Amino acid sequence: MKAAPFAYHRPDSVDEAVDALAGGDAKVLAGGQSLVPVLAMRLGRPGTLVDITRVPGLDDLEVTGGVLRIGAAVRQRTVERSEAARAVPLIGRAMPFVGHRELRSRGTVCGSLAHADPAAELPAVAACLDATVVLRGPRGTREVPARELVVGAMTTAAGPDELITEVRFPAAAPGDGFGFAEIARRHGDFALAGVAVHVRRGGGATLAAFGVSDRPVVRDVTALLGTDPTEAGLRPSTDALADEIVDTAGDSHGSRGYRARLLGVLAARELVRAYREAHA
Amino acid sequence: MRVEADGTVDVTVTVNGRAVTLAVAPRTTLSDVLRDRLGLTGTHVGCEHGVCGMCTVLLDGEAVRACLLFAVQCDGASLTTVEGLGSADDQHPLQQAFSHHHALQCGFCTPGMLMSSYDLLAGGTYSRDTLAEDMSGVLCRCTGYRGILAAVADVAETHADGVPPPRAAVPPALVGRTSGASPASSLALNARKSASSDTSPAEAPGEIPPEITAPTGPPTATVEVRSELASGVDDVWAVLADFDRLAACLPGAEMTADLGDDRYRGRATVGLGPVSLRFDGLAHVVEHDPVARRMRVLAQGTDRGGSSTQAVIRLAADPAEGGGTVLWADADVHLSGRVAQFGRALAGDVSRRLFEQFAEAVDEAARTGEAPTTRTSPLRLALGALLARIRRLVQRRR
Repeated sequence: MKAAPFAYHRPDSVDEAVDALAGGDAKVLAGGQSLVPVLAMRLGRPGTLVDITRVPGLDDLEVTGGVLRIGAAVRQRTVERSEAARAVPLIGRAMPFVGHRELRSRGTVCGSLAHADPAAELPAVAACLDATVVLRGPRGTREVPARELVVGAMTTAAGPDELITEVRFPAAAPGDGFGFAEIARRHGDFALAGVAVHVRRGGGATLAAFGVSDRPVVRDVTALLGTDPTEAGLRPSTDALADEIVDTAGDSHGSRGYRARLLGVLAARELVRAYREAHA
Repeated sequence: MRVEADGTVDVTVTVNGRAVTLAVAPRTTLSDVLRDRLGLTGTHVGCEHGVCGMCTVLLDGEAVRACLLFAVQCDGASLTTVEGLGSADDQHPLQQAFSHHHALQCGFCTPGMLMSSYDLLAGGTYSRDTLAEDMSGVLCRCTGYRGILAAVADVAETHADGVPPPRAAVPPALVGRTSGASPASSLALNARKSASSDTSPAEAPGEIPPEITAPTGPPTATVEVRSELASGVDDVWAVLADFDRLAACLPGAEMTADLGDDRYRGRATVGLGPVSLRFDGLAHVVEHDPVARRMRVLAQGTDRGGSSTQAVIRLAADPAEGGGTVLWADADVHLSGRVAQFGRALAGDVSRRLFEQFAEAVDEAARTGEAPTTRTSPLRLALGALLARIRRLVQRRR
């Protein structure tokens, strides 16, 4: 369980980091909590790791103009403790489910987006809130909606020579309500099924499901809340929605049907929670 | 900064309060450095890919998986391992609680559990309701967790205004275990390079002898030996002032080169039962006061097997009533690597015997004006130390 040899590059600027990524044989190392196990099991053998954690500016964590900016080197646990990050309550709801405390000490928010595990919490939160991911590459800077970042299991729209420099979340507005839940076999495991929901008072509800497809699945669920915003009232429609969304084949931990049932229950429960919060 | 895959880079970390610099390859994990290079085997390694939590340590005060960090990432960081949390003599409240609540059986997960629970309590997010989830980052296969959770809850409740910090009792093992990489061994390497050409033909001429730095942190053993010598104080000081004769009085030691500027290269052999260590190293007389008859010597040496030692030795000669001399020899001895595993009691015993024999040899040298003719063999040293220890044990039982 030792990583194969690799060169270590610790750039002092984003430009130097992008230069170091050129050639396609390099990987970005931030927290390393997903990457290093892959290296340890020799499932990957990049020639170079580019450690971006000491690049000035990538540790920014601030709210400006109604937007929470989280730099690529900002660790999950820093976000958990940050006053600024309370502007986006859904992140705080999801964070306890991200791995374990010991992993969040090192793991980064942007790294979780870049790794794009289908059952990961933070890509679903980013998709639910319509966050924006900022990429820097040899062709310059571009912005990608979080909903378009993940294009498949552990695959993103970012090129191998591109670096996520930050993610921008819209801050919550008065009258916003949120819900987050997941079911995993053990705490800290990847979810069998999970939901992040956002309900706006006066109309508008978004649901992002994770762990049930090869990427987070986002749906406008405003219509579901129309007539009877109770768990029992919502179940028929969330069950139907879950049946439509879940497209994993299932595995020994949970069949497709089981996951669909979980998702239907969690979706109804969290939509009610978010609806009540929005209308409190 | 770039390190090639087959290269190494110097990384400085503060481990349990003591700074150490090591040369590491990019792919060397922190857990391997702690265990294999620093001898801190309290940090266990289970799955080596971040699942089991055995290797949990504190990095800049937060619990992390040492197997998911490359040592090169940790340059400048401050680390606390279970050895720094508390010692056998001075246990941290968590360690006491784990013992009290039977929170361990085989003990393999215990270091990880301790460091993880310390992080939880120090982080201020403890809640009895979420304790099981909060402690889920470390796996235990024996206890069923109940004792562990009870121990953590106990400490959380008895220390409601904050868990005490790590004892930071610096463990006996520090500095590198692998030769050619630790500061001490690179020092020895430099010393070899700078030694005179007849002992080391490959040396680069004109190389400056390296600095010996005083060790930091609490020593493995502290020795204070007071000996009454028959010889007069001026004769005794004459032996101490002549490093050649002084070295000859040290059991098992031998000076191999005078490097100038009060620096000397030498070797010392220590035998202890099946253990045989040969330390190559350096000594530097940093203080020399002929009026007060006091001197201070820094010494540092490494064995090929990766054990290393550092010592601050203070010697003083005072006139005694009746024309003799009182020789004071005290030393802070720092041991690291495998030798450190013999523990501080034995290290203290061996060091004390060494200084007692040293005093006898100084007395003889002062009397005869020569270096001692009968050198104490390492074997006798070892037997003497063991014998003294056995005698004390017997006395204690009476």
